[in-house]
Amino acid sequence: MSNQRICVLLLVFLTLSFAFSGTVSAQAVKEVVVGFVLPLSGGSATIGQQTQTGAIVAAEQINMTGGIASQDGAKIKLVFGDSQTKPDVGSSETERLINREKVSVICGAYNSAVSFPASEVAERYKTPWVTTGSVKDEITERGFKYVFRTCNKAVYDAKEQLEAIKLFNQETGKGPRTIAHLYEGTDWGRSHAANIRKLCKDYGYELILDEAYPPGQVDFSPQLLKIRAKKPDLIIIALYTPDHIIFSKQYLESKSDFPFGVHSVGAGSEDPAFYKAVPQEAVEFMFVQDDWQVDMLEVMGWARGANKMYKERLGFDINAYGAQGYSNMWVIYDALERAGSTDKEKIREALVKTNITSGPALITGYQKISFDENGQNTFAHGVISQNIEGKKISMWPLANRPAYAKVAWPVPAWSER
Amino acid sequence: MDPLILGIATVNGVIMGGLYGAVAIGLSLIFGVMRVINFAHGSFLMVGMFTPYWMWALFGVNPYVSVIVTAPLLFTMGYLMQATIISPLFKRERAKVLEPLSVLMLTAGVFLIMDNAALLLFGPDYRAVKMDFSLKVLRFGLLTINYARLLAFLMSIMITVILSYFLASTDLGRSIRATALNRDAAALCGINVPRVYNVTFGIGCAVLGIIGCFMVPFYYVSPSVGVAFGIRSFIIVVLGGIGSIPGSILGGIILGVVESVGGQFVTATSAVIFSFCIFILVLFFKPTGLMGQRV
Repeated sequence: MSNQRICVLLLVFLTLSFAFSGTVSAQAVKEVVVGFVLPLSGGSATIGQQTQTGAIVAAEQINMTGGIASQDGAKIKLVFGDSQTKPDVGSSETERLINREKVSVICGAYNSAVSFPASEVAERYKTPWVTTGSVKDEITERGFKYVFRTCNKAVYDAKEQLEAIKLFNQETGKGPRTIAHLYEGTDWGRSHAANIRKLCKDYGYELILDEAYPPGQVDFSPQLLKIRAKKPDLIIIALYTPDHIIFSKQYLESKSDFPFGVHSVGAGSEDPAFYKAVPQEAVEFMFVQDDWQVDMLEVMGWARGANKMYKERLGFDINAYGAQGYSNMWVIYDALERAGSTDKEKIREALVKTNITSGPALITGYQKISFDENGQNTFAHGVISQNIEGKKISMWPLANRPAYAKVAWPVPAWSER
Repeated sequence: MDPLILGIATVNGVIMGGLYGAVAIGLSLIFGVMRVINFAHGSFLMVGMFTPYWMWALFGVNPYVSVIVTAPLLFTMGYLMQATIISPLFKRERAKVLEPLSVLMLTAGVFLIMDNAALLLFGPDYRAVKMDFSLKVLRFGLLTINYARLLAFLMSIMITVILSYFLASTDLGRSIRATALNRDAAALCGINVPRVYNVTFGIGCAVLGIIGCFMVPFYYVSPSVGVAFGIRSFIIVVLGGIGSIPGSILGGIILGVVESVGGQFVTATSAVIFSFCIFILVLFFKPTGLMGQRV
């Protein structure tokens, strides 16, 4: 083909495509683009996938029931960025979603180490950021205007664990004097450690071991050795899924006795993949700070519809992280309805005025979602559950404990099991 | 510090270290012979762990038995990777005296493809083989040694011995060593250099296959499982000496013991500093590694 011909054909093609794109967009229903930055690969991939599925289920439900009414029935379009469980990738994905995909609002990123810098990127671009799953206190303590958090802060997590210990102590008259803490060495673990250190002093426990480790540990025998040498009454652990699998297995092998049990503050112990990979004896009697009410599906029948859609996609019931993805999508939808436009400032103002007291956004088990002047939902809370014969039963707060449940406290020694 | 605790920490460190070393053997061999830095090393380990896992999950085959399938499979994969992907690059840049740096990028690309293909096919979930054997331990007071880990360590030692003997005494082994010393001279002696390269890559990956089968009983499987081992392998290879098989095990054991014993004095996050300090010191005083030959 001669050069001239190619130029003519190119010109015709370009003109046609412009013409057609014009007509297509005029006929298409308007879409509101909502971005999610989640760990879809790397160490937290299972949890990222669960959050993603929760969000997709919620968006499907919203679109099925007519989309955003105040914006002429505009549909929600979800765009996902994979943070790969890495802070730098999460930040660049946030930028890509804002600049290239032109999202109106972003939700992310589960890992505190990713949410912390990525939300700063969102703040710089004046894009509302709704935090999902990240508990690092400082995320909502920077005086930022565009960052919101629906879930617990680290200090809530720590407080709940110690309140539960206090409750069990009051009920039985027996409690620990010394506590050991093993945690993963990035933002989340260290956040929790700082809070545990402070709260142990307030509650009168002696913190005899404060041990960080780099994530991706292959062998926990040095840590277990150290812990057993100190003989704590109770151990608190903050581990992501892969580390939790190895730790729980090696804990079972070592048959270490901690009179008042192993208290896991979530992440790995809230991931269904963890329970499939670990034998039941390793998690028997373990306490978990769950970010949502574990018996939610028994207590709240309306959640079963969402659970069915979720289970069809992933093959297991919805868990804390699926619930967070689901809930945050509904929170964003609620703000979009009240904002009536995709203007980021209007969405931000709508988020500030959020006051949800009923509906699907409360699948996480909170009674209310409303943000304080720092963007923190002060009504967030979790439950402390204990794993008895393969079933997680809520034990704290008392209001969430089923009538038939009895705490195994002190925890039976290995020789008695 | 209680000497008993130190002793136990050392034993744990040696067992873990032997395993790290075995994983690094393949990398050491490949780099020693071909000067190829195989960034996809961790990915091959991941395949070497997924194979016994799926054979257990789908057919109920004991992971230790699946070595007979995994090792040849990994050998073939390594052989083909060298023969079809890397060697065209070698042939094209034959004029260069040093090995082409572009091979580095190539192996990095293979790593990305393999890890993400696994993620696509199998999803991100962490899976584990559930065997009664995985839970059995040897108990001496505070010291608990998991049988599966001990077996993996013993296999690491056995691989080292067999491979060293193979390299020293068999014709193919000697061809490999000759090619490592000087590729052109080896070619002049009538050694089929491309074939030697293919076989070396295959052996490096087959080792990963064997170790993978022995790790699956006590570890978990996921698409990103190879990454942590891949990174440690690089340190061990340089520490122990490039191209030296016993050097790999030695480097691995040093790393394992430093992590384990260091972890008793400081937190594990800080203990990693000790590993890197030793690494730097060795490079300073003996740049070819502890047991490496002059390059």
